[in-house]
Amino acid sequence: MTTLLVIKQILMTLYSRYEVYITPFLKFLLALITLLLINSHLGYMDSIDRMTVVLIVALMCSFMPMNFIVVVAALFTLLHLYAFSLECAAVIGAGFLLMFLLYLRFSPKDTLAVVLMPVCFVLKIPYAVPLVMGLVGTPVSALSVGCGVVAYYMVHYVTQNAAVIAAMADQETIARFRFVIDGLIKNREMVVTAAAFAITVVLVYLIRRLSVDHAWMIAVIAGIVTNIMVLLIGDLMFGTNVGLLSVILGNIGAFLITLVLQFFVFNLDYSRTEKVQFEDDEYYYYVKAVPKVTVASPDKKVKKINTRKPKSGQRSKSAR
Amino acid sequence: MLNEKRIILMTKMASYEENEGKKNIPAGRYFRGDYIGWQVLKSIISASIAFVVVFAMYIFYNFDTFMADIYKMNLIEFVRDILVRYLWVVGAYAVVSLVVYTIRYNRAVKSLRAYQLSLKRLADMYKQ
Repeated sequence: MTTLLVIKQILMTLYSRYEVYITPFLKFLLALITLLLINSHLGYMDSIDRMTVVLIVALMCSFMPMNFIVVVAALFTLLHLYAFSLECAAVIGAGFLLMFLLYLRFSPKDTLAVVLMPVCFVLKIPYAVPLVMGLVGTPVSALSVGCGVVAYYMVHYVTQNAAVIAAMADQETIARFRFVIDGLIKNREMVVTAAAFAITVVLVYLIRRLSVDHAWMIAVIAGIVTNIMVLLIGDLMFGTNVGLLSVILGNIGAFLITLVLQFFVFNLDYSRTEKVQFEDDEYYYYVKAVPKVTVASPDKKVKKINTRKPKSGQRSKSAR
Repeated sequence: MLNEKRIILMTKMASYEENEGKKNIPAGRYFRGDYIGWQVLKSIISASIAFVVVFAMYIFYNFDTFMADIYKMNLIEFVRDILVRYLWVVGAYAVVSLVVYTIRYNRAVKSLRAYQLSLKRLADMYKQ
């Protein structure tokens, strides 16, 4: 444990020292992963399905605000869909526009969750996002997570039914349009997942704010149980065909991710909790102070035993 | 000679200006009514665009039925129905944004007061 804490301390020192380089690099990495995933799953437009284009755009994202990644990801998705089918691009573009106009205008900080959610779905760790957002966000993050779920399922529906939509090429535009809209509106799995994740975010937030020992751990476990329960109840009620094993394994993975997060953000030593009471003119204060677990990073000093020999040039200079 | 207290205060203020202050300082330049009114107006415009998008999709989805019934239906009744729905949607959204931006403005003013106090303390330090 001490070794881990030392590593944490070193990482934090490194981050604070090289923040100027690390933050743009992380943005670059996120943009790169997002765009590569979009290209690998959609990839209908050849002109943007190239590594050079992805690298240039990801590089641009590294020095732009975080929300630029969201805009670029949406743009890439829509361009691919446009190349595939105009109707799909129109429907999904309208969905993105509604999200932006009605919700993301209010909380531009949370837009990152909208990108992270589909990315985590593809990486098979979607259950981590509601837990993490509940731990570090606010109850409003539930809406961001919900928007992310909707964005993922909209694109997922198109990729899953790509063959059917392509086969409908000879039919009327309205028929294809109806097919896409019907698929999205009647997608019970999307609704159940969005509801489960939103409930999880709010519950995790409420519990982690409680003034009880190990609040974060209790919040995460309660969040996982609630998530599984809501998904299973949704399956029973609407027949969403949720795989029990994949849900449980996914939640175990999410639990491990939250452990890492907790280690870096909220690592407390409850054995040294102090409770104090004091007052001023206006209030009486009941304060509970829980110290963070920290260790001093080892200060290594290199002691030189042998003095360096002067160079031949210097020696001749001194001899003169 | 460096004044440590002044440097700490200035660092805190610079950090505020860089982070939280970025959205609070512009809000503080408006009167309460003007700020909230402007934000609600933007929300109404957003909601109107959203309504038009949804309505256009609805019409396109039911295009066949709509074109077949257009001569049979009472158009005034139809337009009135749409307008009522529009007013409900935009009204509800405007109320939500009114509440959100009132809370945000009050918070911004509160934090700007603390910022002004820091500015005053800094000015006093320079006078000394």
